[in-house]
Amino acid sequence: MLILELAAVSKHYGRRTALEGVSLGIPPGAALGLLGPNGAGKTTTLRLLLGFTRATQGRVELRGRSPLDPASRAGVAYLPERLALPARMSVRGFLHLHGTLAGLAGSELAREIDAVIERTGLGSRAEDRLGGLSKGLAQRVGFAQALLGEPALLLLDEPTSGLDPLGVRDARDWILAARARGASVLVSSHVLSEVERTCDHVVILNQGRVAAQGPLGQLLRPGESLEDAFVRSVRA
Amino acid sequence: MTPNRTRVFAVLAREALSDALRRRLVLAVAVASLLSLQLVDSCTSCGSATLVRDGQTVTLPEVAGFGALAVMVACALWTLLLAGFLASDHLAEPLQDGSASLLLARPVGRGHFALARLAGALAIALASGALLLFATGALLHARQGLPWWPVLPAFAACAAGASTVGALAMLASLYLPRVATVLLVMMGVTGVAAVNLAGLFGAELGGLAAAIERFGPPLVSSVALALREWIAPTAVPGDPQLLALRQIAWMLASAALLVHGFRRVELE
Repeated sequence: MLILELAAVSKHYGRRTALEGVSLGIPPGAALGLLGPNGAGKTTTLRLLLGFTRATQGRVELRGRSPLDPASRAGVAYLPERLALPARMSVRGFLHLHGTLAGLAGSELAREIDAVIERTGLGSRAEDRLGGLSKGLAQRVGFAQALLGEPALLLLDEPTSGLDPLGVRDARDWILAARARGASVLVSSHVLSEVERTCDHVVILNQGRVAAQGPLGQLLRPGESLEDAFVRSVRA
Repeated sequence: MTPNRTRVFAVLAREALSDALRRRLVLAVAVASLLSLQLVDSCTSCGSATLVRDGQTVTLPEVAGFGALAVMVACALWTLLLAGFLASDHLAEPLQDGSASLLLARPVGRGHFALARLAGALAIALASGALLLFATGALLHARQGLPWWPVLPAFAACAAGASTVGALAMLASLYLPRVATVLLVMMGVTGVAAVNLAGLFGAELGGLAAAIERFGPPLVSSVALALREWIAPTAVPGDPQLLALRQIAWMLASAALLVHGFRRVELE
């Protein structure tokens, strides 16, 4: 069984086609890198998986259910590309809200909050208001909420956006740690080197269609980097 | 882990209320409520007059009821407009700035989210409405001898009306810009209130106005009917039970429309 699946999915906005006949899936424990130039349909794919929008055609499933069913998002964490945090809320208050919505409660919730604050290096800023954080720290808060409760599936849209080199390395470690405990991961990114280091499967979208997909090892020709494979697939 | 639905709603409603309280507008609402209360205080300070009607001396409560009713209807109208105004961006804003997407990526139903945002906006409007209606009722009771208990059903009617207005304003805000939603709320509420009042005074209504009076939300007439004892023996037209049923039906239907509309909206 796949932890998420799109089967022959098309999405049209009026006359504009965002996705056309896209099929992809992630088996439990795998990590999929979703690549593509701007406007290729990466964010639309994530929006479909989260039930934010409906497919015009085809079938979308998240954890075996329709994404329109809120229960499909149990054990799923999301980090959007454009992270909008409530400015006047504290870091801890924000994590408390998300931990509760993730199904945590009581001492387990408090323990989890302390753990993710520690893991994401937010210890000295835990009581600060979100509005006063730099972009990099805000992105760490975004990661912290995504890591709460050890989710079974992480959906990450441009996860290293706004992070400095140390933050990028930390983000990679958090993703790899999640994978090590058995979580599945979908990373949508422009940073091919990060996808190469964290994912074992890749889907390359171009103009709403799947240009190439498969295990990383099979997708790359001998001596070819992911960047070369990406350019080859998009220009084909 | 799937969180308990009641717990999810409670958490979201608390967050929606906190979000509403963080807005500068709430301070303006508090100041406006206190100024309105001061106005009510001066309007109800005539407490010891001797009145003669058709050569006969009448007690103040016998004539004060009409003025009191007008003041209470004005307070209810303020509450209704405030509910619509606050609701006009309390759901639309987090959708537009993207802060709702993180919450809706959790196992949270869209219906729960929309109703929690409505509850947050209504809490502020009803706090202001409760302050005005109950303080006015207390002043009228102390100064003019009017019974205080009709204020309770009047507030309940006002709360139900505010819920209807808030839900419809929130629904409109999913499709319209803020300014258009606020204008729609102002025109809609004052229009329905005018029709309600015309019906209370026995005016002959036709066309759309008659339909609104017969089937529309009894935003003001339900409040006036709850206070009918203040103007007895003058009769207020309308069956209180039927009006209450219509009020509840509008409240439930508007909430259901909001949930239905929000479920169909495509999120960024």
